[in-house]
Parts: sequence; C-alpha cells; structure tokens
Amino acid sequence: MRTASILIFVVVTGTGGEICLTHAMKLLGEVHDFRPRAIVSFVLRSLRVGWLWLGVLLMAASFFSFLAMLSWFPVSFVIPATSLAYVAGAFGAKIFLGERLNATRWAGIFLICLGVGMAWADDLPASFHYPSAMAIARWAILALALGPLFYYLVGIYSAWRFFRVAHRRPSQTPQETRDTPAISMLKPVRGLDPDAYENFASFCRQDYPEFEILFAVNDPEDPAVPVVQKLIADFPQRSVRLVVVEERLGPNTKVSNLCRLVREARHDLLVITDSDVRVELGYLQGVATMFRDPGVGGVTALYRGRDSLQFIAAMDCVGSSAAFCGAALVARELEGLKFMMGSTMATTKERLAEIGGFEAMADLHSDDYELGRRIAARGYRIELLAEPVWMAFPSQTLGAYLRHELRWAIGIRNIRPGGHFGMLFTHGLPWAIAAACVAPSAAIAASYLAGYFVLRFAMAWTVGVWGLHDPVLRRRFWLLPIRDLLSFFVWLASFGMKRIEWRGSFFTLEKGRMIPVAPRAGRL
Amino acid sequence: MTAPKTHKTKTYVLLFLLILLGSVGNTILSKGMKDAGDLDISHVSSLAAGAARVLTSGTIWAGIAMMLGFMVCHMLVLSWADYSFVMPFSAIAYALVPLLAYLFLHEQVSTARWIGIVLIVLGVVLINRTPHRTTPPGTVSETSG
Repeated sequence: MRTASILIFVVVTGTGGEICLTHAMKLLGEVHDFRPRAIVSFVLRSLRVGWLWLGVLLMAASFFSFLAMLSWFPVSFVIPATSLAYVAGAFGAKIFLGERLNATRWAGIFLICLGVGMAWADDLPASFHYPSAMAIARWAILALALGPLFYYLVGIYSAWRFFRVAHRRPSQTPQETRDTPAISMLKPVRGLDPDAYENFASFCRQDYPEFEILFAVNDPEDPAVPVVQKLIADFPQRSVRLVVVEERLGPNTKVSNLCRLVREARHDLLVITDSDVRVELGYLQGVATMFRDPGVGGVTALYRGRDSLQFIAAMDCVGSSAAFCGAALVARELEGLKFMMGSTMATTKERLAEIGGFEAMADLHSDDYELGRRIAARGYRIELLAEPVWMAFPSQTLGAYLRHELRWAIGIRNIRPGGHFGMLFTHGLPWAIAAACVAPSAAIAASYLAGYFVLRFAMAWTVGVWGLHDPVLRRRFWLLPIRDLLSFFVWLASFGMKRIEWRGSFFTLEKGRMIPVAPRAGRL
Repeated sequence: MTAPKTHKTKTYVLLFLLILLGSVGNTILSKGMKDAGDLDISHVSSLAAGAARVLTSGTIWAGIAMMLGFMVCHMLVLSWADYSFVMPFSAIAYALVPLLAYLFLHEQVSTARWIGIVLIVLGVVLINRTPHRTTPPGTVSETSG
C-alpha cells in the first residue's frame, strides 16, 4: 500500500509539475534569441509566472519523494516503476496542454516505457548511489534557515550606514536661507484620522519661507472639510486651500485627486504626504536641501509611530518600524531606493512631467511605489530624509489589520513577484522553528532559535530605537515575534490571491493595475 | 508543421545539452555529496566543518551549476516544443547511462539490459518522427512575449 501510494505521488507530482512548467513556458512564448543576456531576461520574466512556481514546487515534492523511495527500495525497482511517468505525462500533455499525440508518438512512448523497465530491472553496480532524502531535506532546511539570520545582519549594517550619517546631519539649516525654493504641499484626504487637526497644523507651522498647502477631498460632505476650514481660519498668514475634486480618472481616487492638485499647485517643488502624517518644524527645509543635488529626482521618508496604546495598533507600528523601514533601508543599501513611501513623496513638476504625470498612474494600486520606480527608471536618485515623519496608527481589530497587511502583500506580489518570493528569507521565526524541528541535537535547535531572537531584536533595535527613535517599538519590543509569525501567514496567504478590498470596493490586481470587480464575484 | 529548419536544429541542440547536463550533473552531485561524507550534526563545530566541506567542494558547485543549466535548457526548449516530445526524448539518458558504463567502466551488461537499451533507442527514433510542436503558437499566450 505504501509502495503504491508513494509511487503514485512521485508520478503525479512530477508529471503535474512538468506540465505546469510547460504551460508557463508556452505562456512566455517561443525563445528566438539565445544570447546570454536574452536568456537571463527570459528566466527573470519566467519568475513572474505563477505556473512556474507551482511547477517547481510540485517537481521538488516529486524529487524528494523519489529520493525517499530510493532509500526504501532498490534502484532496480524504483526506476522501472517511475517510468510510468512517461505514460502519465503523455496523457497530461494531451488533456491539459492540448498537444496532439499521433500513433507514432504513442508507440514511441510505449517502447521507451518498456525499455526503461527492462534496462533498469537488473540491480545496478554499487557506483550508483543517492544520498538519502531525509539527509538532503535536513541539510537544505538547516542551510536555508541561515538566510533570514543573514538578512538581519544585512539589515543592521544598512541601518547603521544610513543613520550614522543621518543623525549627524542637522535637519534645520537656518543660516542658509538663500536656497529655499517655494514649495506646494499636496494632501489628498478622505475621512478623519485621529488627531487630524494637529497633524495638519504641523505642516502649517513649518519653519520655511514660502509654501502653500492644498487639500483635496472627493466629497464636499467629507468629515475632513470642517477641520481644514478651521485650519484656514487659524493660520491666516499661510496659503492653505481646499479643493473638492469631482472627476475620477481611475479606480485609485487618491491618484485622481493628485492629478488635480498638481494642476492647482503654484510652485515647482511638490511635497505629497498621506493625511495621517505629522512632521517636525524643519521638515520642509530638509526636503528642499535634498533637492539641491540635481541628480535627486525624488525624496521620501521613513516613519515612526506616535503613542499607540492599543494592542493591534502597536503591533502594526512595531511591524512598520522594525520590518518595513528595515526592508527599505536594506533595499537602499543594496540597490538604491527605487520606490517611495506614502509618508512623503516629494518631486518636481518637471520630473513628474517626464514620467507622464499622475494621469499615467490612475488605475495603479501602489501609486507611491510606482512614482518612485518611474522616476528612478529615468536615471534620477530617490533619497531618504534624515528625519523620519510621525505616523498615527489608529486602533483597529485584528481582522482589519490582517486584511490591510494582506492587501499590501498582494500589491507587492503583483508588482515585484521576485521580491515578494524573496521575502521568504526575511521570515526568520518560521525558519528557526523548522530548523529547530529537524536539528539532531537540542544545542543546535536552541542555537537557531536564539540566533533568531538575538539578531531579530538587534535589527529592530538598530532600525527602530537607535535609528528612528520610535517610542512605541521601544516599549512594545516583545510584540515583534507575534507580528513576525502573523506576517508569515499573511505572506503565505498572499500567494494565489488577486482580489483586494479597498475602501469598501473590490478589485483584482493585474500587473499593479486595479480592475474593479463585483463584491460577490465568488472568487478569491 | 511549418517548422523551419533552424527551429528543428535548436530543438536538437537544447535536447542534447539538457540530456548531457542532466545526467552528468546528477552523477557529479551524487558523487560530491558522497565525498563530503555523512553530515555530523551533533555539534556546532562538526556541523560547521561539514558545511565548510560542502561549500568548498568544487564538485558540488559544478553539479549545482550543471543542474541549473539543465533547468534553463529545459525551460527554453519547452517554450516551443511539445512536452510529450521533450519528455520521452530525454529518456534516452536511461539508455546512455548503462551504455557509457559498459564502454568506459567496462561494467557487465545483461541481455535484458541490452534489449531495454534497444527498445529505448527505438522509441526515441519513433518520437523523433513526430512533429516537435503540435499546439499552434499563440493559443495560450495571454502575455505578448
């Protein structure tokens, strides 16, 4: 019984895997160019095809069970038995791939099946030896589990490299008043965040000679409207305007609002911030200083949480500081920033025009990511502000938190499938647990777990406490392992999911574009 | 089929490469793992020594490189050729391994094995008489290449 089931498993997973792989390759289309660069680009493109990953997963499962089979039975049985895969593969190709098998091909496959059976039914010389499947699997897990630990080390190094300079750089440079271009700050708003007035006011109080603030809402009845009106009354010396945007260019309303705000803006330097951001007095000066370098095309900022007392909000905050900002610093160190964050998106009208304006991005889901990517693709640098902005993490339910994280993970998978898969090696806790399970001695199991805790907390401390001065992370350190575990399951769940819920509407994502779907499409 | 001549040539070149890389890579990798010895994971020091042995073993890296090359060739050839063509065709490796063992290692080959080898070769000859591709290009292409 065991023999039959493992044989069926080997054949079905192997054949299924190869059929998925073939389908993925046919989707990519016939290769004509065999120069090394073209082959590399073909392989990279193939990584974006979900069928390839499914295929590789099935083939790996088949390979390991094949090795397991070899450790239980002689080669003289295993290879003839698994040659059934030729027949299974032929049927699979016919049914799933629509290949037309003529009589000649069937006869050939039959002869090969028979031939492999006869040629390998004798016991082979001892020179033919496979290591046992268990040994390979154990090796693989112990080796791969080092990946996240290495990632944490890179994270510590990247954070040290950035903040060592950033902490030294004074954020306020009052003596240099001559190079202060006028700035338009754009704030698309929808609904009210906690402490909205104080957040908005922090922009009005900027220590900077000339700037204006433009708010945009879609609905004249939006609860943010009275708050903005109070702001206009309280800061008469500042140029603050409210624009009600009626046109919608695509499913991403924030981008529609930005299109309008850019047209309304009087100044060349644009600073766009999410509605829940609060900044220090020298913020605008910091942004303007960055743009002195003509090679800089965009400026973005890391963020830290203000006091959030609620459990889930604190977990969200801890994840943002320790995990997301850490990942951004690693990306900056390894390949330079090629994205921006909603906390701050600063660029100029000229750069924006070069990439086709926000109009070109009206149906994109991750507008902040895309804006940075497009500016970087034109050869400009994206810089990070020395000082992080403050972000409010409102109280929420666990379900809302998980849905939000899932939406984010699906978004990332959609725009950077390779990077999303690579996140496998940023999840240290599940790897440490897996390594501890297969480790042959308690000492090694403990080493992996201790390695995770020490390096994980060291990275979180370097990024969040020493670097960002995040007060929430400092106090709620212990939330990190819980958040890491949840985040691993969110990452797993994001595979194969396309549909997202965004502000009450449902969309599927195709290459970063949002395609509206009916709320009860019955498909996840 | 409307397969032009170059079309067939590149199929054969890639099939040759993938059979070669696959069988040699597999053998080399098995040999490398065996030479590195059994993994002693009872102590951190012996684990590190074992890891160092594997990581510094040129044989293992060569084997891994060959298996990667095998995978890439496999992907490339499947971008146009039928799976039901490539899969049985590559079975010729099962005839080549005992044949090479006979030729170079002078290992004994029984009558049954000779018959098997002949059957595999005959099967591949038959497969080779069928078109390399029976699905029209572009039918599954949702993305423009």
